[in-house]
Amino acid sequence: MPAALDDFLWTYQSLIASLGVNGLLALSMYVVLAIGQLSLGQAAFMGVGAYASALLSLHTGLPFPLELAAAMLIPAAFALAIGAPTLRLSGVYLALATIGLGELLRIFLIQSDFTGGALGLSGIPAKAGFTLIYGCLAAATLALMLITRSRIGRAMEAIREDETAAAVSGVDLPRYKMTALVVSAMLAGLAGALNAHASSFIGPNDYGFDAAVTILSYALLGGVGSPFGSLAGALVLTLLPEILRPLQDFRLVVNGAIIVVAVLYMPHGLIPWRPLRIGARP
Amino acid sequence: MNLFRPILRTLFAAAFVTSAGFSHAADPLTIGAIEILSGPNAKYGVAIKQGFDLGVEEINAAGGVRGAPLAIAYEDSAGSKEQAINAARQLIGRAKVPLLLGPTLSTEMFAVGPIANQRQTPIIGTSTTAIGVTDIGPFVFRTSLPEADVIPGTLRAARDKLGVKKVAVLYGRDDAFTKSAYDVMKTALADLGFEVLTTETFGAKDTDFSAQLTKIASLHPDAIVISALADAGAGILLAKQALGLPQNVRAIGGNGMNSPKVLEIAGPAADGLLVGSPWFVGKSDPLNVKFIEAYRAKYGSDPDQFAAQAYDTIKIAARALNEARDLSGDAIRDALLKTKFEGVMGAFAFTPDRSPAVVSGVLVLEVAGGKFAILK
Repeated sequence: MPAALDDFLWTYQSLIASLGVNGLLALSMYVVLAIGQLSLGQAAFMGVGAYASALLSLHTGLPFPLELAAAMLIPAAFALAIGAPTLRLSGVYLALATIGLGELLRIFLIQSDFTGGALGLSGIPAKAGFTLIYGCLAAATLALMLITRSRIGRAMEAIREDETAAAVSGVDLPRYKMTALVVSAMLAGLAGALNAHASSFIGPNDYGFDAAVTILSYALLGGVGSPFGSLAGALVLTLLPEILRPLQDFRLVVNGAIIVVAVLYMPHGLIPWRPLRIGARP
Repeated sequence: MNLFRPILRTLFAAAFVTSAGFSHAADPLTIGAIEILSGPNAKYGVAIKQGFDLGVEEINAAGGVRGAPLAIAYEDSAGSKEQAINAARQLIGRAKVPLLLGPTLSTEMFAVGPIANQRQTPIIGTSTTAIGVTDIGPFVFRTSLPEADVIPGTLRAARDKLGVKKVAVLYGRDDAFTKSAYDVMKTALADLGFEVLTTETFGAKDTDFSAQLTKIASLHPDAIVISALADAGAGILLAKQALGLPQNVRAIGGNGMNSPKVLEIAGPAADGLLVGSPWFVGKSDPLNVKFIEAYRAKYGSDPDQFAAQAYDTIKIAARALNEARDLSGDAIRDALLKTKFEGVMGAFAFTPDRSPAVVSGVLVLEVAGGKFAILK
């Protein structure tokens, strides 16, 4: 590899890694929004995955793929526990419960000495390279794309547009909602584990309410018509602060202004188009 | 035309002077600095930047380093680890700086240190006091006295000079800085033979400390050892007074309480507070007096300990850059380890573990009449 390219990759290593991780988070948000539910627990699911995998890495010699599996299954269990009561209700209850989950997690992480308390965990081995992160992202995108194009995708869109009509048409609402929440928790947990093993340092305040809102804004800015919308949102919101770095003091102002303009003039997101469905006439 | 001629002449002269200036000055030697220049913790980063800038000005007036003027490329971390990492990678990978200063917080150093270390670029923290900072790797230095040096000194003074034996401890549990200072306090209290009556905690955003202090008051300690940032610390002092704890029950603070802001908020309630500090604005040695005069002339305000530490650090860095056999990481690292320096904080050298070697500079300060003064 030429030295210049090597330097370039090294300089932007953490940015490139966080692009992939944030892409996965955006997809995890997309899965929930695609059925018209609002979860503010993506950051908490990510935190559970990150801490679970980091603790496994630091204290056991498990193979990395097994740790990743744990980082997906443990948040999934949390999602089942939270979804069971709240998904029966309509309205904002899932959002409220997931905010609560995030706060509980933060307080637990701060109090517990096992998780390093307020100091967090450091010295996590750097096991997540570009190949793994982008492999996971590509696999998740492909899977979601196929699902969106399929019968399931159509059912999901029906739920999003009109729950009652979807239920009358024979869509099994509880099953779809629960599956979406669990899948979304697994994706967020995977993202958390990859992030922990790419940045080597995690702390309890990385997974608070701010992070949850940032993840939500990826999907909202990009659009929830297709998985690519959320990916585009994550790409823009991750790159923008770095591209604007030369503006120094005006960076955050310009960053905010661009987002406001995008939301005002592109209410359906950066990528509003919906994917063609299998069997649909163009 | 007559009217324009003087203007033209001035412009011409100005152009000549600037071009002459450019052609004579060598390319500056640029080092990198990552500090918090925006957001809630910007007060620390800005003080540090002002200390650096004043130091650079004096270094360049004295001929710069290695025959070139010294310059600092600043990157803002806004207090976020991700941004600090990106900034460090930019400075090392693209700008190819030989030396990094900062970052502001210990948590940021834990994220940035391994990166600098991987590229063998020396990095000097001027305000990173937590345990384990220099354990990150052989290229991670700090010029700030670690809490592990400052806090035991304060506690020893309280024991020997004020006869404090029984203490209650109160610390912020959800902040990396206050938690790390508490860990040091716990060890030091045990080592120095204090009797700890109780250990209470609070959250960074709490404003009501009466429950903890009521319990502490019922145990009749000689002093309350507090690990808190300035805002919460001042709140605790106010609550202590409001609950009627006697004035002779001392408050003993960590580094976070060593701030003019505590005095500002707590007012008379701060009287009797003890803190340890690596530096004090009222120190009367000539170097310090000169520094404070220059700082006041440039910025119109008094420096704080962060500015003083930064001012010394840039001078130490400049000396090491001058002494190094070349600008490779190894050479600068070796030169830093050999540097002996007399600055506003007193005599300075690095230990082989890259922390400050001389801890005699720790001053124990007492608040009396709304002002910090050296404890007699």
